[in-house]
Amino acid sequence: MTAQVTTPYRPPREEARDGFAQLLRAEWTKFRTVRGWVIGMVVAALVTVGLGLLIAGGGSSTCQNSPTGPVLSGAACLPPVPVGPGGQAVTDQFYFVRQPLAGNGSITVRVPALTGLYANGATAVGSPMTRGLQPWSKAGVIIQASTRPGSAYGAMMVTGRRGVRMQDDYTHDTAGLPGAVSAASPRWLRLTRSGDTLTGYDSADGTHWTRVGTVRLAGLPSTVQAGLFATSPAHSTVISKSFGGGSTSGGPSLDTAVFDHVSLSGTSPGAAWTGDAVGGQATGGAASSGAGSGAGSGAAEGFHQADGRFTVTGSGDIAPLVFDPAGSGFPTSTIERGLQGAFAGLIAVVVVAVMFITAEYRRGMIRTTLAASPRRGRVLAAKAIVAGAVTFAAGLAAALVTVPLAQRLDRAKGSYMLPVTSLTEIRVIVGTAAVLAVAAVLAVAIGTVLRRSAGAVTAVIVVIVLPYILGIASVLPVGAENWLLRVTPAAAFAVQQSLPAYPQVNAGYTPTAGYFPLAPWAGFAVLCAWAALALALATVLLRRRDA
Amino acid sequence: MEATIEISGLRKKFGPHLALDGMTFTVHPGQVTGFVGPNGAGKSTTMRVVLGLDAADDGTALIGGQPYASLRHPLSHVGALLDAAALQPSRSARNHLLWLAHSQGLTARRVDAVIEQAGLQSVVRRKAGGFSLGMRQRLGIAAAMLGDPPVLMMDEPFNGMDPEGIVWMRGFLRSLAGQGRAVLVSSHLMSELQDTAGHLVVVGRGKVIADTSVQALLSAASRDRITVRTSARSEAMTVLAHAGATVAATGHDTLTISGLPAERVVSLLGESAVPFSEVTGHHASLEEAYMELTRDEVEFRAEPAGEVAP
Amino acid sequence: MSQAPPAQRASLLGERPADPDGPQNALQAGWTSLREALHAEWTKLRTLPGTIWLLAGIIAATVAVSSAATAAMSCPSRGCSVDPAKLSLTGIDLSQAVVAILAVAAISSEYSTGMIRSTLTAMPRRTTMLAAKAAVVTGLVLAAGTIAVLGSLLAGRLFLSSHGFTPAHGYPSLSLGDGPVLRAAAGSVLYLALIALLSLGIATIIRDSGAAIGTVLGLLYLSPIIAAVVRSPHWHNDIERYAPMSAGLAIQATTGLRGLPISPWAGLGVLAAWASAAVLGGGLLLRLRDA
Repeated sequence: MTAQVTTPYRPPREEARDGFAQLLRAEWTKFRTVRGWVIGMVVAALVTVGLGLLIAGGGSSTCQNSPTGPVLSGAACLPPVPVGPGGQAVTDQFYFVRQPLAGNGSITVRVPALTGLYANGATAVGSPMTRGLQPWSKAGVIIQASTRPGSAYGAMMVTGRRGVRMQDDYTHDTAGLPGAVSAASPRWLRLTRSGDTLTGYDSADGTHWTRVGTVRLAGLPSTVQAGLFATSPAHSTVISKSFGGGSTSGGPSLDTAVFDHVSLSGTSPGAAWTGDAVGGQATGGAASSGAGSGAGSGAAEGFHQADGRFTVTGSGDIAPLVFDPAGSGFPTSTIERGLQGAFAGLIAVVVVAVMFITAEYRRGMIRTTLAASPRRGRVLAAKAIVAGAVTFAAGLAAALVTVPLAQRLDRAKGSYMLPVTSLTEIRVIVGTAAVLAVAAVLAVAIGTVLRRSAGAVTAVIVVIVLPYILGIASVLPVGAENWLLRVTPAAAFAVQQSLPAYPQVNAGYTPTAGYFPLAPWAGFAVLCAWAALALALATVLLRRRDA
Repeated sequence: MEATIEISGLRKKFGPHLALDGMTFTVHPGQVTGFVGPNGAGKSTTMRVVLGLDAADDGTALIGGQPYASLRHPLSHVGALLDAAALQPSRSARNHLLWLAHSQGLTARRVDAVIEQAGLQSVVRRKAGGFSLGMRQRLGIAAAMLGDPPVLMMDEPFNGMDPEGIVWMRGFLRSLAGQGRAVLVSSHLMSELQDTAGHLVVVGRGKVIADTSVQALLSAASRDRITVRTSARSEAMTVLAHAGATVAATGHDTLTISGLPAERVVSLLGESAVPFSEVTGHHASLEEAYMELTRDEVEFRAEPAGEVAP
Repeated sequence: MSQAPPAQRASLLGERPADPDGPQNALQAGWTSLREALHAEWTKLRTLPGTIWLLAGIIAATVAVSSAATAAMSCPSRGCSVDPAKLSLTGIDLSQAVVAILAVAAISSEYSTGMIRSTLTAMPRRTTMLAAKAAVVTGLVLAAGTIAVLGSLLAGRLFLSSHGFTPAHGYPSLSLGDGPVLRAAAGSVLYLALIALLSLGIATIIRDSGAAIGTVLGLLYLSPIIAAVVRSPHWHNDIERYAPMSAGLAIQATTGLRGLPISPWAGLGVLAAWASAAVLGGGLLLRLRDA
């Protein structure tokens, strides 16, 4: 026998250093080579688009311009909607008693009385209107660039229940003196113009003035319209709630303000006051003389001037147009409506992401995986990143296709698409993809914790979708709904909310109407926190447990 | 009822792949029938069709003259060990047997009997998922014996068994056949069946290549072959080839010769003064006989391992 | 050449009757095999460690969510427009997901482990096997659902009466003696049973547990989300009328029955139609496909 010397075998390749990139690559290869998972992701994108278009295209709205006119449908129903200086759709409808103001000047009034009337849809047609103010019935002094609806303005006003306010350009609102107006406690209001700057003051006695706010209206023309206004938004009450929606009843309202001690500086002396119903259905035109329909009869817009006292009656609102499915007179839509199909996509994504990890346990492949890369935390991280990235890509593609198509369909079917800035649109689209991606990460984490597909898929869907359903279903009190959408992963859908809730507009800002209790990115952060927590738990368990 | 498995003309396609191509044979009682062939020859598919798990595109498979699906208590007609992993890992071994028993109208008493028969008493309360492959095979055998069936069908029962287990299994299979049952045992290793099977069904590419008794197969394979041991290998080859024999070198000092009777070989070598130490009739092993038969039927053939130069 | 089959083998099997041959015995034989299949499926389900936890989960989820919902609601004066029975049964929204896990796992875990081959070898009559499995799962869900619903109503009764839902405000305390409340309670139990059948059918069709449970939950949970955003009231009503969850849960309504898109029993009927379609589809595919 000859002694044989065998040199130890050396692998031909040097061991690579940076393991994580390899790990990512390995997980990506795992993902893309299972046909079912790739199909699942494609299905997620397709159902998101398909369901979104179904929602946007389903059912056309019909309308009649006059009670005897032909019934119109679809895009023919779209009313002209003024757009404010900020680019948002606005309501600009009020009774305006005005004079042109060239250059700088100021207007001061005393408001000793503000009263209102409203109709309630629940009461019989033709019955007299009920006495009472709306919280945001408004009357006061206003300086507006022109009488074109949607033009820039600044105003000082008394309100039905919100005290003195200074508002400008539809979306801004600053509080002044609190309390209601009465003969015993009148309010003094002053608005001065200097260049393109307006400053508002209020006072309880006409001698001690407090500055409420200063606003700059860029590009204010030298000649503006200054004067008195009154307007009152529609009354609405929630009468019943049912699963999937509530129903409200309401009706138009009017308010009537009395102005005295009116002084206007900077105008040509002795110029006459004219009255217009701005943005309205020309009902107030005949009353401009102030003769026929006084405020006392209480049924129409107009103004009455006697002995330096002005009585102005108006209806409408000067405010941003908000999405209020029950409140507004014509169908409106938001860009996120078409993205509700993302819930279907979410379910598909969760199924695929859960399987991405549970499939490893089912056939014992996890042992191969962990033998190939013993640092378990990094395996999980790589899996989460791959699942999240693939989902983000699929979600982004779906949202990018859905939003413009759904907008078109919505318009064609006669819904007015409330305009938003491109930045908001990008946030809604990217945010939707991001929500899906983080949900996929959460699914990978829960899948690692539970190791069973059925349990993990259910857990993830239930923690994301069920709170959302309970949040919008109107079965729970609003407080509980808001709480659910603040602390559960469902909060993330706030990232889809394209329109802010304006406190100066009284509308149903409920989750049902698409208004979330948290700001968009704050809501998204809640989901991220859940995913991070679940990942941490999954990492600990993966390290501790035998594979 | 006759204790037989009759398979005739089975065809089955999985997509473009033809798994069974007219498989036909019969398993008779009282002996162990080896069901052999390379991987992918259609052994498991045939057994799945017999049990009604897969539907054949054509042909019939009958247990004692009846299709499996029509049997009232199928486990008392045929016991099958197809896939030792066909159980839920979180259930204990005993409970796995218990539900099977209940499905056949049998009681827990019968379960305990087969547990003893398979030698599983000590582990029967443990979760089946934690079993080694050999243990799972025993559990599968216990399940197959539940209904005390006259026909048994086992797919690769030696898989994962330790040597002791293999010896036990061989004895067990022989005793089952000895009780008059028909036993069909598949294997891709002929050596496992060497001392067990009395009859062989050799299959390749979905059909039967040989359906014969072990005795007949062996004698056919060793037919008039002679082994010569000689120190002068090349001279012997020249002489014998010249005389019209087919000569193959099978070792550094051995030759296998066919085409000449042994006496003629001895005299030829003697005439030419070629030294030789031994001339014997050749005894083929079952393995060799099988390799001979399936040479052209292997679907997946590994490249021969690289030879190390001397 | 074969040895005679030993006679003593028969005694091992005990006193089981011989297989019936005559056609008059076919019905009886069918019953026997169904009974044996039921026994086997029951043994299977009860010896899986997950079953008891899922049943406990059904009860816990129902009672916990229902209690939270009733604890959050209050009625300070008359006319609160709240359906107290429906509110007390809010937990069904969650526990149906647990029911779905139980029912899906009952079939898909057999596929994922390969156990289905043992099952179909032992019970080659596949529809009988599926029927037995459906019966056992449904039976367990009915039992757990009854406890869950009774617990929820009890919690609702306690919380609601202390939160202003008093006879003075127009709300008598919840009682099963009240016809509509009894209907809502019994109907909710049946609802869970039908969800179990729907899930079992879908899982038999899809076989993979993750995909099956995703399909079931999508079918259930997507409809209220879509109904909330569709424009036309006609579509909204159609979704509420024909989607399995919203139609089925109409059985819980005890107030404002006139305003419902579908009447309570008809709604449960719609869900029953979904469930039978799923089970029939599953049974058909089970017969046609290779295991």
